[in-house]
Amino acid sequence: MDSLKLYEYAWLIPALPLLSSMIVGIGLISFNQATNKLRKVNSVFIISILGVCLTMAIALFWSQWQGHEPYTKMIEWASAGDFSLSMGYTIDHLSSLMLVIVTTVALLVMIYTDGYMAHDAGYVRFYAYLSIFSASMLGLVISPNLVQVYIFWELVGVCSYLLIGFWYDRKPAADACQKAFVTNRVGDFGLLLGMLGLYWATGTFDFIPMGDRLHELVFSGQVAGWLAALFAILVFLGPVAKSAQFPLHVWLPDAMEGPTPISALIHAATMVAAGVFLIARMYPVFEPIPEVMTVISWTGCFTAFLGATIAVTQNDIKKGLAYSTISQLGYMVMAMGIGAYSAGLFHLMTHAYFKAMLFLCSGSVIHGMEEVVGHEPVLAQDMRLMGNLRKYMPITSTCFLIGTLAICGIPPFAGFWSKDEILGLAFEANPILWLVGWLTAGLTAFYMFRMYFMTFEGSFRGKDHKIQEQLLQTAGITVSGHGHHGEKPHESPLTMTFPLMALAVPSVLIGLLGMPWNNRFEEFIASPNEEVLEVAHHFDLNEFLIMGGNSVGIALIGITIASLCYLQGKIDYRAIAEKIQPLYELSLNKWYFDDIYDRVFVQGCRRIARGIMEVDYKVVDGAVNLTGLATIISAEGLKYFENGRVQFYALIVFAAVLGFAIAFTVIS
Amino acid sequence: MNFSNFPWLTTIILFPIIASLFVFIIPDKDGKTVRWYALTVGLIDFVLIVYAFYQGYDFNNPNLQLVESYTWVSDIDLKWSVGADGLSMPLILLTGFITTLAIMAAWPVTLKPKLFYFLMLAMYGGQIAVFAVQDMLLFFLVWELELVPVYLILSIWGGKRRLYAATKFILYTAGGSLFILVAALTMAFYGDTITFDMTLIAHKDFGLNLQLLLYGGLLIAYGVKLPIFPLHTWLPDAHGEATAPAHMLLAGILLKMGGYALIRMNAGMLPDAHATFAPILIILGVVNIIYAAFTSFAQRNLKRKIAYSSISHMGFVLIGIASFTDLGMSGAVLQMISHGLIGASLFFMVGATYDRTHTLMLDDMGGVGQKMKKIFAMLANCSKASLALPGMSGFVAELMVFIGFATSDAYSFTFKLIMVSLAAVGVILTPIYLLSMLREMLYGEENKELVSHTKLVDAEPREVFIIACLLIPIIGIGLYPKIVTQIYDSTTHELTLLLRHSVPSLQVKTATENTSQFIALNAPKIN
Repeated sequence: MDSLKLYEYAWLIPALPLLSSMIVGIGLISFNQATNKLRKVNSVFIISILGVCLTMAIALFWSQWQGHEPYTKMIEWASAGDFSLSMGYTIDHLSSLMLVIVTTVALLVMIYTDGYMAHDAGYVRFYAYLSIFSASMLGLVISPNLVQVYIFWELVGVCSYLLIGFWYDRKPAADACQKAFVTNRVGDFGLLLGMLGLYWATGTFDFIPMGDRLHELVFSGQVAGWLAALFAILVFLGPVAKSAQFPLHVWLPDAMEGPTPISALIHAATMVAAGVFLIARMYPVFEPIPEVMTVISWTGCFTAFLGATIAVTQNDIKKGLAYSTISQLGYMVMAMGIGAYSAGLFHLMTHAYFKAMLFLCSGSVIHGMEEVVGHEPVLAQDMRLMGNLRKYMPITSTCFLIGTLAICGIPPFAGFWSKDEILGLAFEANPILWLVGWLTAGLTAFYMFRMYFMTFEGSFRGKDHKIQEQLLQTAGITVSGHGHHGEKPHESPLTMTFPLMALAVPSVLIGLLGMPWNNRFEEFIASPNEEVLEVAHHFDLNEFLIMGGNSVGIALIGITIASLCYLQGKIDYRAIAEKIQPLYELSLNKWYFDDIYDRVFVQGCRRIARGIMEVDYKVVDGAVNLTGLATIISAEGLKYFENGRVQFYALIVFAAVLGFAIAFTVIS
Repeated sequence: MNFSNFPWLTTIILFPIIASLFVFIIPDKDGKTVRWYALTVGLIDFVLIVYAFYQGYDFNNPNLQLVESYTWVSDIDLKWSVGADGLSMPLILLTGFITTLAIMAAWPVTLKPKLFYFLMLAMYGGQIAVFAVQDMLLFFLVWELELVPVYLILSIWGGKRRLYAATKFILYTAGGSLFILVAALTMAFYGDTITFDMTLIAHKDFGLNLQLLLYGGLLIAYGVKLPIFPLHTWLPDAHGEATAPAHMLLAGILLKMGGYALIRMNAGMLPDAHATFAPILIILGVVNIIYAAFTSFAQRNLKRKIAYSSISHMGFVLIGIASFTDLGMSGAVLQMISHGLIGASLFFMVGATYDRTHTLMLDDMGGVGQKMKKIFAMLANCSKASLALPGMSGFVAELMVFIGFATSDAYSFTFKLIMVSLAAVGVILTPIYLLSMLREMLYGEENKELVSHTKLVDAEPREVFIIACLLIPIIGIGLYPKIVTQIYDSTTHELTLLLRHSVPSLQVKTATENTSQFIALNAPKIN
């Protein structure tokens, strides 16, 4: 295919999935039963459309890899007077990379969905949602300016809302989807303000001119430095919410109420990474303001630590992975904040693959567990009921182990290269950041292997009714009568295990693109600011061995402790938990963020709203009723309320007006 | 037949009114013939509107078009004069569209169908007349005339407290109308010439003090209609008691009359006073947005909740009008059109839900989406349009207002910073109340008590069709706003130029800072 033609038609990549979801959606609304019956037709249609997108994305990526010029195409979208706003798309190194990540993960998740949702009544609707999400996400990554990013940013948010609330008859899902949307809106509030501020200052929404002009203005003193920093931090609030960074991270664990395929696609691989992507796009603005970079790096660093400390005590397999995602996103954000542009994006890519795989594995485990404990998330997702699943689910357990090794940073798995690069650069930037990141790496290894051992090793505890009842009691759920469940879990069907195996390949190998002595990834993804290029450090074998050795060392310590606790039982973790009760409680209760937010923001907001409504009823309504015209008529008119005389008044007004008109006509 | 000689606008106004009189002589026993008659009339009139504008309206001309003027009372220069410019034309289109859909929404009305459709058709003409007439006195007359059908529709077909609501409605609006009458007469008789012609009045020089007085009076009148805090309390009462078609007209068209008149008269005829009042409008707009959003959140009654959300959205119109920028003004007009569509769709859906659940209280609902999947999908989509989801019209309008005001050079940086930040709080509050509403109504477990004594049937094709008709333009505008903005762009541009001329500091672009004698201050200039 002629390469220019390819670029001209690149807009089809988001447009095609949008179209396919609209076709299916219209089918669902107009011919509900017929559409729902044609399950496979719909899913094959949607998957093949995405396959076309994947092909195009790979072709574009290859063309960019070969050194093709970036391509941008715009059309005028809105205008008023002198103002005009254009929309379009841009294909450069970063966007082509993101296109490939999103399309590959989305395609595999869609294939997986066929098995996972096979018995769900909303099978077709789920595919429609998946497709519209893919469209929004693909639109986001090829956006050429901040407004368009904001538009797609909101659209992926609403898709996430729809998908978290997919099982809308479950109350936790209903609560979680609203929480996710509102928390993200708090971030968007900042993004909107920052965007407006930057436009006010620079008169453009395009990333690179925006950065250049802003810094000229700051340099020449026309815009105060603190103002530029304020706008940048406001924009950063958007990524804080979307990428689940402290203090807006609270929505992501709850978002696990959605079906597992979307946890993999949206809440691990793509949408949550959009925040990191936006930071990358905003580099021309952020990078020259040191205060902003400091805020970004410390936010990321703290979030990485926070997520890991909470993940340590989680018993729900998906919640554990969710906190691990928060922690890993923290690494990426920290990397962006210390100027490690390509390292952050490298981790984004490796994490997208191995975390998507881990989530899909957890889905496969849940799918298998449901055979034994029934369709009750409280039971099917709790690791205390699992154990020895390796015996029943060999493919899932192998893939999960690969993912675990990757996230722990064991060479040569993908996570090692990207995390090591971040930690190495963090050490250069600020040893404290490195220290926290390094400790977090140890925690990561511990909680991931804890998860692995609890799930796949030891003995199977699924039939232990004592634990079951205890879990149901804590959750406050009563299950009427025990159904006839199977005795042991089963391996998932091929449609589910194939994506796992496919994702295992990049989880092992993709890190090799970024080996420090031959960093092809970094050559490809270079920061738009040229100064940063020089920071890209020269390879030093000694330094690499020391840094890498340190990371691997602490990971091994974490793994060893985990195996002593959960595999061999040599350390009694319950005794330790009791000894450090306050810390244990802190972690188990997620640092009490949910409770504090609920009390301060949710209840506070309700109280204010009720107060204002009272004022509206009693003060405003009363005052206006009592003043002016109403003073005369309400006193007199109230008498007539009951017998409908007021209608008579209205007629008088009407007649008077009519009389006026007739009178004038007669006069003339 | 020569196109330009035919009195298009007069026909469009009078056709439904005259047709409404025939409603009473149509033989109709079960009330089913008359609704087809009304629908046909509505459709014909809508087609007439589209045809007339398609043939005779030029987007690039900012002035009045399709003008007709016939002398009525020569002594006082009262004329039947109608015309359409970029402000009226989209609103006339909207009126035809929404009213026709409202007739279709009124399909299940069984109480006194003849009277009902008579009133609907009379309103059809009356509403278009408000947007089309170009004579102050005539404007006052049609403004008043159009209140009567609304009043009757509210008081006959409403809920339990309909009389209270209808009375409150008529008292508020009639009270406001007094100001219009006084202002119209003052403006007509002031100076050497006596004229009610809007264009001529706009050229009169009233002097700043009189302008301020007139502006204040008209602001009260139109503030009731828009509505602006604290004159808004009739709206939740009226909406709380109205039926679905009345809702669609109230939210879709009647509120827009306030915004339209505010732009046409307050801004267009009294530009000097506008420069003084503009910061107040901004503040009122922000108050509308936040205050109404909070109140909406606290409401447990579905219709009142949506009514407050309307008030909240109208705040953006105020900010746009007062922004002194093309973009802001354009956004204000777009917000009116967009809210006309979104408000109508949301109220229609709430009405459709009420038909099934027979309750408006959120506490009595819960999980109703399980049986009514189509209603669920449609209500959720309308709510998303209302919370300004990108890809739908509300987002574009709000974004235009935001950018317009944020880049406005008529205000000081601090003022803008505070006001934009506060207005943006609405961005957080809107999803809170709308999504809470969806959650409490549709999500979660089914409310057993409700299900036991009501039959929750899913949407019928008529309802799907109405919502589809409303969502298509909502999404169309959201995807490519130029479809609509180009209609009125030239008019709003002229208007903004006029307004900018009235602010001394904006006349000369290169003016140094702090030369403004108004509250509106200079923002730092960036080249």
